[in-house]
Amino acid sequence: MRTFRSAALGAIVLALSLGACTSGGSSPSAAASAGASGGATIASTLILAGPPECPQRPFCLKGLTDTYGLKFKEFKPTDAGGPITVSAIKGGQAQVGLLFTSDAAIAANNFVLLQDDKHLQLADNVVPVIRQAVLDKSPGIADILNGIVAKLSQAELTNLNKAVGVDKKSPADAAKAWLTTNGFLPGPGGSGKGNVVVGSTNFSEQEILGELFAQTLTANGFTVTKKFQLGNREIVYPALKSGQIDILAEYAATLLEFVNKGKGEATPDPQATVGKLRDALKPDGLTALNVAEATDQNGFVVTSETATKYGLTKLSDLAKPAP
Amino acid sequence: MDAISALLDWIANPDHWSGPSGVPNRLVEHIELSALAMLLAIVIALPIGLAIGHTGRLALVAVAVANLGRAVPSYALLLMLFPFFGFGFSTALPALVLLAIPPMLTNTYTGIREVDRDLVEAGRGMGMSERKLLTAVEVPIALPVIMAGIRTAAVQVVATAGLAALVAGGGLGRFIVDGFGLQDDGQLLAGAILVAGLAILVERVLTIVEGRMVSPGVRATIGRVDEVQAQPLLTGSG
Repeated sequence: MRTFRSAALGAIVLALSLGACTSGGSSPSAAASAGASGGATIASTLILAGPPECPQRPFCLKGLTDTYGLKFKEFKPTDAGGPITVSAIKGGQAQVGLLFTSDAAIAANNFVLLQDDKHLQLADNVVPVIRQAVLDKSPGIADILNGIVAKLSQAELTNLNKAVGVDKKSPADAAKAWLTTNGFLPGPGGSGKGNVVVGSTNFSEQEILGELFAQTLTANGFTVTKKFQLGNREIVYPALKSGQIDILAEYAATLLEFVNKGKGEATPDPQATVGKLRDALKPDGLTALNVAEATDQNGFVVTSETATKYGLTKLSDLAKPAP
Repeated sequence: MDAISALLDWIANPDHWSGPSGVPNRLVEHIELSALAMLLAIVIALPIGLAIGHTGRLALVAVAVANLGRAVPSYALLLMLFPFFGFGFSTALPALVLLAIPPMLTNTYTGIREVDRDLVEAGRGMGMSERKLLTAVEVPIALPVIMAGIRTAAVQVVATAGLAALVAGGGLGRFIVDGFGLQDDGQLLAGAILVAGLAILVERVLTIVEGRMVSPGVRATIGRVDEVQAQPLLTGSG
């Protein structure tokens, strides 16, 4: 019995080693491919990289298939808008990648963010949220912050993130440079316009936006207290509601769905979404100002070489016939 | 309890047991990757360990390199190698080989060094060639220590091969990474159990293989020797 067992084990070990020699080098197929290829579209010649849950998610591969009719050559599970996805696109192992639309890596690597022309993503546009009581006392704040928001294009926000995340400037310095370039600094000055508390959650884009608001308000005569790095929305929103902070940069669709407890009222339309958001915020004594063009939501990027090669500027371009 | 019922549901679903993303194929991928990594690491580590152990030369360098190798986390290695090697196996393989070398190299080297010098000298006195001394005296006596190094490396490799899933590779890590991404506790737990189970199985199998290989005279130590901490022996052989 013992001899037999040992012989069997030996055979298994041998078989495994041989198996490894013959097939170990070939790369494994991805967990889920994009499905059967439907004609030679540009997408069908490209590899998509995104987080492992992407194939099942309506705002990822599933949405690309349902809304845009895109079928990729292959889907490669990487990470959620992280370094592996960036590295895969940069290294050409994948051609299309899911990143966040304001990711510093887009500016740092000259990636092209494909426009969501069929409006798949919900409108997570940057929007200042403010306590109604503060706004009633100092209505001028609305014009000041809306002025910043009006200049905050997608490229501007991405570049601000790059200044901090890649060029290693402090959020305060990056914000100051941007405000100076765009004519918000030096402001009219003065003092005694009132006290406001500007908050931010704990990632650098939030701190940059907080600095933009805080520095501009200071330059307009407000006494500003900064409460940054406050943790996530679950912590910051109650702080806003209870008056521990007065102003916070938020994201329209995500905040709406947070406040209405996931009713699904958020849409890809920023104006409609922020309208609903104002209604939802009212009972909590809060309101939202204007939405920026800049978003922080799922975005699909390609390298500038890929964009030039296939003439890609928007997601629907991927459905065109391959050259 | 939720996690346990999610796990049982996941296991009970026949979809999870067939096709390219089913358990059998993932298991084969995991074993292929681990076995190939071990094979390459053995080919690199054992000859170097034997040579250093026998001659006593370059021991300091080898030990320093091996210990340095231990200090680098495989995850960091994976991220560093990814831009050059790309998706899946091609990145995971070098990372796993580098993980497997240190325990095998130090155990082989230490095992050989710790063979009683009197026995080696006796062999030399009988006119054995250096090669014969190594194969007939040193290796058989050091085998339990060398095998312990191989066992340690194999368990580490099997447990770490799951990282391949982070760079779009296959293997059992796929269940862990996908389960995490999908917030599917059942899948995550199933993956973790499969990886742990495979690691334990490999450990047992190698212990049995060791029992068959080691000379009866030194068999008492089988399975009792673990990874050794290498210390450079500064005193050369007499």
